[in-house]
Amino acid sequence: MRNVTLRTFRFFALMLLGLLPAPLLALDHDNLDPNRPIGMEDAYAIPKGEIGMEGGVRFNDRREGRTRVTFQPQIIYGAFDNAQIEIQGDLFTEPNSLVGASKSGDLHLGLLYNFNTETLALPAMALRVETDLPTGVNSRGVDTQVTGILTRSFGRLRAHLNAGYTVLGLPKGQERPGAYRAVAAVSYPLGYPDSFRDTLIASVYTRESDLRGQRNHTGVEVGIRHQLTSRLVVDAGLGTEFAGPADRAAVLGTVGLSVGF
Amino acid sequence: MAACSQFEPRDKRFYYRAFWNFALREDLAELDSEFNGVDFGHSNLYENLLLTGGTDVPAIEDRAREETLAFIASKPRLNPNEEAIAPTYMKLAWRAQNTFDEAHALHRATYDIVVSDEPDKDRAIRNVLAYYQESSYAITAKKLDHHRLDAFLYSRSFRNRFPLFNATIWAYHYLQVAVYDPLQAARDLETKKQAVRPILLTYRHYLDQPQTQWTFMPLTAELSPIFAARYPEIANIFDNLHMLHDNISDILASELVPTWEDKREEIYRILNTYYLATADATNPMIVTHAEHRH
Repeated sequence: MRNVTLRTFRFFALMLLGLLPAPLLALDHDNLDPNRPIGMEDAYAIPKGEIGMEGGVRFNDRREGRTRVTFQPQIIYGAFDNAQIEIQGDLFTEPNSLVGASKSGDLHLGLLYNFNTETLALPAMALRVETDLPTGVNSRGVDTQVTGILTRSFGRLRAHLNAGYTVLGLPKGQERPGAYRAVAAVSYPLGYPDSFRDTLIASVYTRESDLRGQRNHTGVEVGIRHQLTSRLVVDAGLGTEFAGPADRAAVLGTVGLSVGF
Repeated sequence: MAACSQFEPRDKRFYYRAFWNFALREDLAELDSEFNGVDFGHSNLYENLLLTGGTDVPAIEDRAREETLAFIASKPRLNPNEEAIAPTYMKLAWRAQNTFDEAHALHRATYDIVVSDEPDKDRAIRNVLAYYQESSYAITAKKLDHHRLDAFLYSRSFRNRFPLFNATIWAYHYLQVAVYDPLQAARDLETKKQAVRPILLTYRHYLDQPQTQWTFMPLTAELSPIFAARYPEIANIFDNLHMLHDNISDILASELVPTWEDKREEIYRILNTYYLATADATNPMIVTHAEHRH
């Protein structure tokens, strides 16, 4: 009985620390979620019943203005067949200088629904619907976003397309009332056939600027996800924007981890 | 039209969450790593059979088998990403793969319970069985007539053409079912480690010297009779799972099922008609009488 108590205590302690060493079929480094580590995702939801806790730190070294750091805590739950719900609340440094949909402290709710698995004839398809509630600093109005996602594999290489549109509830000043975003990405498992712990991801993206009259943010990102244990994935990414407004990113960087249980 | 007929849900389901989830990997890593190697072997075989048309003997018996043995020898600490091993097969027959995944999760859950210090192992095993059987991908817990399931026109194509790899697959199945009784009989962890050691030695011997003289796959009741008597439904599920593996190997290897579309249709036909529990009411392969041949 004492052993059971000890195991129970250890389960919760390690779960909280994200260090639990590995049941089968747990968190999957090949299932790609947005910002872990780069701004793209694949068309698959986490398994029904799984709970994921994800978090990361993202820095944006801008060509004009101070470097901005974002903390990205998130909870994901496989609530239904082929569907995950998400709760997120990004925290930014310099929260008063933000423009656009994302404000520091906004409560972000999302639903990702995967319609189908990939077959020989069809790509995997998914739809994401998100809303930002104005709980953050200088935030007004409810912002909504809809994104379509396709995943198609070519051998072990998987290609992903994300296309989304964001509508701002109450745009201020020169803020755009709506903005599109498009990402093309590929992912590839490294190490086959000896190892299955790493997935390399690269993307090119463009998105409308937050303010009217400015060029699209256009850039590239590359990242890696490493399966540390069956339930713990660490990730890191780097990127740059080669076109866009004067304060576009010179260097983007992310480190994060995901725990599934 | 072909695209529409291939529209199918992904339907991944998380494993049964419990405190004993980690027992095998934490406490008996030597055995756990062998099961991780087994996961590689099935997927690697299917992908290579599909891509080579099932006729290239050196590609299967030498190259694919050697890759599998090399991966097993690496003693992987985590189970591999099977979609990276067999990307084409997963697109061909995801529904069958998801059926395997859920049955393999049942396998793993029962090992975890047996190895763990869970005080009521019997209740825990019955709980994971109930969770498994909630799934529409659950394999029937009824006893199936494996000899009839091994008598389709294309049956034995795989084992006749690729006897070494077939014996390797049956060695996996030996390991998967042979460990239950020794693990259950052992009282503590140290004894459990000692109990599985001879089985691991035998398994490795079977990998080194494939038992091509075997004429039928290993069965749970023959290798773990106490476990099979106590949990006949689980034993049936595992035996049916292993028979399904053999059927799919035959379909992928046989010229009688020539195109990828034909192979997909036949895999789904036998899966839906003979293997899934959802077909129990009409399944002609369910053994209804006492005499069951093996």
